[in-house]
Amino acid sequence: MQPLANVTPFKPGSRAGAIQISNVGQVFKTATQDVVALSDVSLDIKPGRFVVLVGPSGCGKSTLLMMLAGLRQQTSGTILINEAPIPQPDPNRVGVIFQEPSLFPWLTAEENVEFPLALRRIPRSDRRAKAVDALKLVGLEGFGKRHPHELSGGMKQRVSIARGLVQDPPVLLMDEPFAALDEQTRMTMGDELLRIWAATGKTVVFVTHSLTEAVYLADEVVVMSARPGRIVDHLTISLPRPRTYEMLGGETFGTLRDRIWRHIRKSA
Amino acid sequence: MAGLGMKAARVAVVVALFAIWEILSRTGIVDPRLLPSASDTLLTLVELLQRAGIRNDLAVTASEVMVAFILAVPCGALIGFAIAENRYFAEVAKPLLFFAFSIPKSIFLPMFILVFGVGFSQKVGFGFFSTIFIVIMSTTTAVESVKVEHLTVARSYGATRLQTAFRVYLPSMLPVLLEALRISMIFNLTGVILAEMYASREGIGHQIATWGENFQMKQLLAGVVMVAVIAMTFNELIRSVETRCSHWRT
Repeated sequence: MQPLANVTPFKPGSRAGAIQISNVGQVFKTATQDVVALSDVSLDIKPGRFVVLVGPSGCGKSTLLMMLAGLRQQTSGTILINEAPIPQPDPNRVGVIFQEPSLFPWLTAEENVEFPLALRRIPRSDRRAKAVDALKLVGLEGFGKRHPHELSGGMKQRVSIARGLVQDPPVLLMDEPFAALDEQTRMTMGDELLRIWAATGKTVVFVTHSLTEAVYLADEVVVMSARPGRIVDHLTISLPRPRTYEMLGGETFGTLRDRIWRHIRKSA
Repeated sequence: MAGLGMKAARVAVVVALFAIWEILSRTGIVDPRLLPSASDTLLTLVELLQRAGIRNDLAVTASEVMVAFILAVPCGALIGFAIAENRYFAEVAKPLLFFAFSIPKSIFLPMFILVFGVGFSQKVGFGFFSTIFIVIMSTTTAVESVKVEHLTVARSYGATRLQTAFRVYLPSMLPVLLEALRISMIFNLTGVILAEMYASREGIGHQIATWGENFQMKQLLAGVVMVAVIAMTFNELIRSVETRCSHWRT
C-alpha cells in the first residue's frame, strides 16, 4: 500500500458534510399489510465523522442509507445533508458505494471512475485527470487501463470507492462495501478506507454486519434493532487513531463489541 | 480463443470435405450428373459471377434482404423493448409471441403472394415477417440482461433517462443484441430466399430453384456455395465484434 505522503489529498472543500436525521419513519405498503421499516429515527452526524450503522437483518440500516443517498424517500420526518433535504440523488453532496462494486464491465477502471463526471459533461481531459487522482488515492495507480474482469475483488471495490470520491462529495455512504470480500482483503480494505478518510476528511456513514469491523473503523457506532427499525444505542468509540491490528485483542475493543452484541442478540 | 493448431485443423476439415467431394464425383462413386465435382462447381461459380444477369439477381436479393432487415430490426427492437419495460404488456404479449414464434413462417407464404403479388414488396414483407419475432424475443432477453445494480449506480450519480439509456442499457444489451442481429439475419435470409424460390421472376433464390427444376446441377451447386459464402461472411463479421464484448456478458 502506498504511504499517505505520496497521495495528493483531495481539497477538503468546505467543512460541509453535516447530516441531520429527525424523526424519520419509513412504511412499506404491501398488498396485505403495512410494514414499518423505520420508526422515529433521529441522528445527528457532525462533519468529518466516521459513523457505522449495525443491527440485525431487517433493522432498516440499508433503507436509512438509501434515504440519505436520495434513492428512497422517507414516509415521515426530515433528512438534511449540508442543511438541505435530499429529494433525489445529488452526487455533489453524497457519494454512494454499494456492496457489489457494480462497475460497468464495458468501461476501463478509469472510465468507470469518470462515469459520474461524464454525466455532468465535464471535458474529457479534466475528467481523466480527476479519475487518475482518485485511482491514485485508492492505491490503484497504473491500473486505470484495465477492465473490471482483469481486477481482483478488492481492486474492483477500490475502483468503486474511487468512483464515489471523484466528485469530491462531503459525504460518503457505504452499504456493506466489504461484505463480499475475503477476510484478509477485508482487513486491508478497512485500513485503506481509514487512510483515505483521514486524507479527505469526509463524513462517512458505513453499514456493516461485522461488529469487529464496526468498532475498528468507527468514531461512533449506531446500533439498530428490527421490527420496527429504530436506534437502540449510540456509542462513541474512544480508541485512539490510527487504529491498529493489536487493538482488536484489547480490553476496550472487547467491551465495546460485547455491548453492541448484547443489543443485537436481544432484538434478533 | 482457438489456438493455431485448432484453426489449422478446421481448415483441414474443409479441405478434406472438398477433396472427398471431388473424389466421389471424379471416380463415379456418386453419379457426376447428380454431384458434379468440386472443381467444376467452383469454375461454374466463377463463370456465373461474370454474367450480368446473375449479378443482377444477387443485387436484387441483397436489396430485398437489406430492406427487410433494416425494417425488421428497429421495429422488433422497439416492440421488444416496450414489452420488457412494461410488466403488464410483457405478461400479456410474451406467451402470445412464443406461440407465434413456434409456427413455421413458410405456411404464410401463399398469403403474402395474394397480398403483395410476386415482386419486391412480397420478398421484403416475408423477410420482415420471418425476422421480427426473433428480434422481439432477443431484445426482451437483452433488456433483461441489464443489471439492476448498474441502474442503481447510474441513478445514484444522477443520470438522466437518456443517459441511462445510452450509457447503461445500450452497452449492457450490446452482446445479446449483436447475437440477435446475427441470428435474425439467418432468419431474414432464409425468408427472402424461400420467397424467391417459391414464386419470383428474379433473385438468386429464383435462379437456384430454376436450376434445380432444369437439372442444372453445376449451376445449382455453385448457387448454393454462393449463398453459403455470403451468409457466412455476414455471420463472421458480426461475430468478430461480438467476441470483443463477450467479457461483459452474464
